[in-house]
Amino acid sequence: MTRLLDVNDLRVSYGAVVAVNDVSLTIDEGEIVGLIGPNGAGKSSFIDALTGAIRNRGGNVQFEGRTLDRLAPHAVARRGLLRTFQSVELFDDLTILENLQVAAEQPTFLSMLRDLVVPSKPKGVDDIAWASSLCDLDDVLDRFPQELSHGQRKLAGVARALAKRPRLVLMDEPAAGLDTDESIAFGERLRSLPGHGVSVLLVDHDMELVLGVCDRIFVLDFGSVIGVGTPDEIRNDERVIEAYLGGHDVEA
Amino acid sequence: MSAFLLFVLLGLGAGSVYALLGLGLVLKYRSTGVIDFAHGAIAMYSAYVFVNLRSTGVLELPWIVLPHAIPLTGGQPMDLAPALIITLVYGTVLGLLLFLGVYRPLLRAAPLTKVCASVGVMLYLEATAVLNFGTTSLATSPILPSDPIRLAGIAFPSDRVYLAGIVIVVAVVLLVVYRFTKFGLATRASAENETGAALIGISPTAIAGRNWVIASLLAAGSGILITPISSLDPTSYTLFVVPALGAALIGRFQSFGWTAGAGLALGIVQSELIKLQTVFTWLPQQGLSDGAPFVIILITMTLSARRLGARGDSGTWKNPKLGRPSRPLLTSIITFAVGVVILVALQGSLRAAFMSSIITMCICLSLVLLSGFVGQVSLAQMSFVGVGAFILSHLSGDLGIPFPFSLILGALLVVPLGILIGLPALRVRGVSLAVVTLAAAAAMDALVFSNVGFSGGLGGRSVPPPSIFGINLGISDGKVYPTITFGVMLLVIVVFIGYCVARLRTSATGRMMIAVRSNERAAAYVGIRVAPLKLFAFALSAFIAGIGGGLLAYQQGTVSSSSFAVFSSLTVLAITYVAGIGRIAGAVIAGLMFASDGLFVSFLDKVLHVGQYQMIVAGIALAITAIANPNGVASELAGEKGLALRFVRLRDRIFPQKPPVAGTLRAVNLAAAARHPVTPAVVPPVKEKEVAHG
Ligand SMILES: Nc1ncnc2c1ncn2[C@@H]1O[C@H](COP(=O)(O)OP(=O)(O)OP(=O)(O)O)[C@@H](O)[C@H]1O
Ligand SMILES: [Mg+2]
Repeated sequence: MTRLLDVNDLRVSYGAVVAVNDVSLTIDEGEIVGLIGPNGAGKSSFIDALTGAIRNRGGNVQFEGRTLDRLAPHAVARRGLLRTFQSVELFDDLTILENLQVAAEQPTFLSMLRDLVVPSKPKGVDDIAWASSLCDLDDVLDRFPQELSHGQRKLAGVARALAKRPRLVLMDEPAAGLDTDESIAFGERLRSLPGHGVSVLLVDHDMELVLGVCDRIFVLDFGSVIGVGTPDEIRNDERVIEAYLGGHDVEA
Repeated sequence: MSAFLLFVLLGLGAGSVYALLGLGLVLKYRSTGVIDFAHGAIAMYSAYVFVNLRSTGVLELPWIVLPHAIPLTGGQPMDLAPALIITLVYGTVLGLLLFLGVYRPLLRAAPLTKVCASVGVMLYLEATAVLNFGTTSLATSPILPSDPIRLAGIAFPSDRVYLAGIVIVVAVVLLVVYRFTKFGLATRASAENETGAALIGISPTAIAGRNWVIASLLAAGSGILITPISSLDPTSYTLFVVPALGAALIGRFQSFGWTAGAGLALGIVQSELIKLQTVFTWLPQQGLSDGAPFVIILITMTLSARRLGARGDSGTWKNPKLGRPSRPLLTSIITFAVGVVILVALQGSLRAAFMSSIITMCICLSLVLLSGFVGQVSLAQMSFVGVGAFILSHLSGDLGIPFPFSLILGALLVVPLGILIGLPALRVRGVSLAVVTLAAAAAMDALVFSNVGFSGGLGGRSVPPPSIFGINLGISDGKVYPTITFGVMLLVIVVFIGYCVARLRTSATGRMMIAVRSNERAAAYVGIRVAPLKLFAFALSAFIAGIGGGLLAYQQGTVSSSSFAVFSSLTVLAITYVAGIGRIAGAVIAGLMFASDGLFVSFLDKVLHVGQYQMIVAGIALAITAIANPNGVASELAGEKGLALRFVRLRDRIFPQKPPVAGTLRAVNLAAAARHPVTPAVVPPVKEKEVAHG
């Protein structure tokens, strides 16, 4: 397996608060890696830092053998590292189809000028069709985000990232707000992604989903990694149970 | 040296006014999130009330037609103290009424909506003042003692020192009140979030209202205080709000200390530049002191603005609705045909008015693109138009470049200016951008349009009529005025631009623009380069505005800079917004219905002689639209039973489409494509599941 993402000692601090404390993490091609931890553990900050939102983060990040340090968000996205948002963040004035199109198309300056006069052939049609069918959005493509259920909006967020044909998607709580059935269906979709050349970093509080779908799981608490392992190892790790799973009754 | 000190002290006069107004703006922003462009207008109106009380004892109410002059003393001048008190109360009540009527309903509205509402109030007050008081400036007797003070060998009027003292006292009082009292705490809390204020037990609306009243009191006060220093006229007084906004911006709309300091400093810089001009004759002699503060504001704002944070910065407010043009080519052809029919049907002044409408449409289209699609508020649009007009006059007059090339080249030369004014937009957002572009417009006014070499001074510059292949396309041909050929030329150009904007809306570029408008942060994360895209929009918008300027120049024959003053930019944004800034139909409606020299208004004027009230009506319409229907008139027409929908149905019945490729159907086609995968890589998820489990 080739190494896709290699994060070394990533560090994010907001003033005195250290949100991500020297976290190292790797993702291989075709892997689905989980990142869990209690509220405020620094999971979203970790994603923010990876994707270029936080300028002065510490540590370094290699993606497909090239550094991502100091790249702006759009440049990170163009390298094939996409993210979704905890708070959905779709483009509200565009239909779901157009949301996916925005991600799939990447007009050049010349094509932008040409578009002013003559209609050009739609781009990325296959990618959009793939992303939309994978996330089961075919029937709502011409709707606006506000007309969708929360679960569908979350899926649309995932589809938008997929429409860009990424190598790796960082998903920030994609299953929050999904009911059990939806969550199971979503897990199946996730499992199919490596077959399409997409690796995943999954952040979620839905333990069933994370334990069921991930190859490896990292556990974060107060910004530090307190455990790494397969779902089985994580399930039985003392420190993890104490810090995170706590009183929860975790069944297989 | 002492001469320089003298000018520093003299500058304290204007500086104090900027500071006082700036403090009021900070109060309003902190409590309601409104940047009140009408703040200067309230000061202006209060000043007129005060001056009228002092000279004739007449109380002037802020409306027209209805009785508005109430004699209080039977024609006798009123004493200082009662006049002062009445005016301060007047300003306070005016502020409170405006808060209740206009701003309170908008507490949760989008920034652009708030901007437009306050611009509406400003236009209304200014136009009312023009009608009730005229435009000749008044000078009044001093209020503060102004006997000369001698210091270090120079003599200067002492009122400047008193004024600065008042500013400092007010700033300190505000600072103390807002830091240490429960009311101040509640204001701070409600600026942070509403539950915070609710915890303290005061309703956010009540807090906002009180702050608003205090701010209006300050506005009225500063209005009174400047009357002796600067002669009073509606426009320049209203425009004091621009440097005041600059001061408030430097204080980040938060800090009283910085705002007061910045206001005073701006006044001093301005005054000092007047002195420097006499020392260094190589400095631009026109407009430097007027323009400099705006340039300072532009630069500081751009450099100091914060980068968009990682999360949470993008608000949840609603943007104006967008249109979804279908079949742009056909629609353009129909529009052109209808336009030609109207041209032929109309004659004389109404035909000329229709031409003005077409040109206004062009200018409004530049705003539909920039503010509608990309969400960037520009209050400098008429500066682009003006530069386009003057450049055309230079290109075709002095350089003799022939018609289509001169127009296009002229508009292209406006593009760098558009990019320059777009640069702040990379760092400054929403309402702050409105302020920065307003500063840019004011700077252009002072530094560029007042330059005689460029704009021909008061007389303006003439523009030779366009002609192509020896055919005269000019607006007059011998005795005929206005000619149909000129109208057709306008139609060809403007309809083509409308077609391009419609194309843009449905293209990949348009989708990116709207994505940026909806959520700049998320747009960056899917790989959109936001900064170049915004600059592209500014460039394109400036180009369209530049073409509009060229057409205006051809129409008027002589262009003069008064057509492009700051207020015209505000008006053009306002009418586009009211008509529907997210739609091409909005630009058409703005041109036909709302343009002051356009078809509808000219028609009304011809029939009912109501032309003089145009600005007042525009102001009220703007505020009402902002409150009641922020999507604009065109959206109304595009609704279920709207005119636009009927037009589309009629169009599609006469010119049937096969196969129909409406937005919906395209989506379904795509969905169908998804179910029948084209590439081997696309495996439907169901199959995948079987593989995984099998
Ligand atoms: N912009 C910010 N400024 C200051 N502190 C922040 C900022 N963003 C996050 N934090 C702090 O950093 C820590 C980590 O937050 P983060 O949102 O990354 O956690 P999380 O693991 O994603 O939590 P959740 O499961 O609730 O989404 C928290 O203590 C949070 O309060
Ligand atoms: Mg989070």
